[in-house]
Amino acid sequence: MKRFGLQQWLVVLAFVLVVSFTGIFALRAVRRAVYWHRHQDETIRPWMSLGYIARSYGVPPWVLYQALGLPPKAGGPDRRPIREIAREQHRSVEEVIGILQDAIVHARPPYPPPGPPPHLEREPTQGRSP
Amino acid sequence: MSITDQVLSALLVYGLPVLFGVILVCSVGIPFPISLMLVAAGSFVEQGEMKLWQVITVASVAAILGDHLAYGLSRWGGRRVINRLSRRIGVEQNIKQAEALTKRWGGSGIFLSRWLITALGPWVNVASGIAVYPWRRFVVWDVFGEVLWVVLYVGIGYVFSNRVQAIGEILGNLTWVMVGLIVTAILGWQLVKYVRVNEHVG
Repeated sequence: MKRFGLQQWLVVLAFVLVVSFTGIFALRAVRRAVYWHRHQDETIRPWMSLGYIARSYGVPPWVLYQALGLPPKAGGPDRRPIREIAREQHRSVEEVIGILQDAIVHARPPYPPPGPPPHLEREPTQGRSP
Repeated sequence: MSITDQVLSALLVYGLPVLFGVILVCSVGIPFPISLMLVAAGSFVEQGEMKLWQVITVASVAAILGDHLAYGLSRWGGRRVINRLSRRIGVEQNIKQAEALTKRWGGSGIFLSRWLITALGPWVNVASGIAVYPWRRFVVWDVFGEVLWVVLYVGIGYVFSNRVQAIGEILGNLTWVMVGLIVTAILGWQLVKYVRVNEHVG
């Protein structure tokens, strides 16, 4: 059998490189999936809105609004990403994320459930409760 | 702050125009975290912040328009430049082979690079343009592939609406795994072919 020439060795080298490249990305995908499976929570990112974070972490949105000292919005939920809120409050995004994480921890077991939003206690909805 | 954070923040604040713009430039070949953005759009639909039919229409139109820009530029503008460049660096033969391949596998190549191997999309657009792949067939494969891509990714975002970051990252990695597997198969096949031919000769 003829030996490998330079061209064949280059193909072998490219093959090894591509296999490693594929392996690295496969590993990253699997690692991310395993992490997701173990920790149900998303990492809080600057693009996320308070509504999204509340939903993802399974806590009532008002807990997060209250933690940041924001009044509940009259015209529906606050759609702004937290980086905008941080800018408005002259805080760093990391600081806001820290405050939110703290509020989330205190709204979940073993802490007692946070209950209904404070403003709803003053104006109960009519005929809706069972 | 990462580009992902900026793009997704803009999507949340400005909605459809951002979706349109980002998908358009991505189809031309500028790398943005596009799969994550479509998944995020699906999540925003589920949360009632965007409308499903609007997201699907705008995203599909942007993708198809972007593909056509790249195809058109390569077909009517790029030909001369590529010819001159390939002659100068001596890869004329390779370009001809790529053209032949595109003509033969063009349809399925265009279709698969729209939704399954999205990382190759911009290259396939350029290759199809240079190879003067028939425009009518390009449109058909492109429209089918892009609509499928949009519906698939927005659908995934809709179903996993509270896990956008994780799903987007997994999909982003899997796209590159697909590219890697295809190139691995091609290179592996070349090696096997070489070894077989030499066994017969020797």
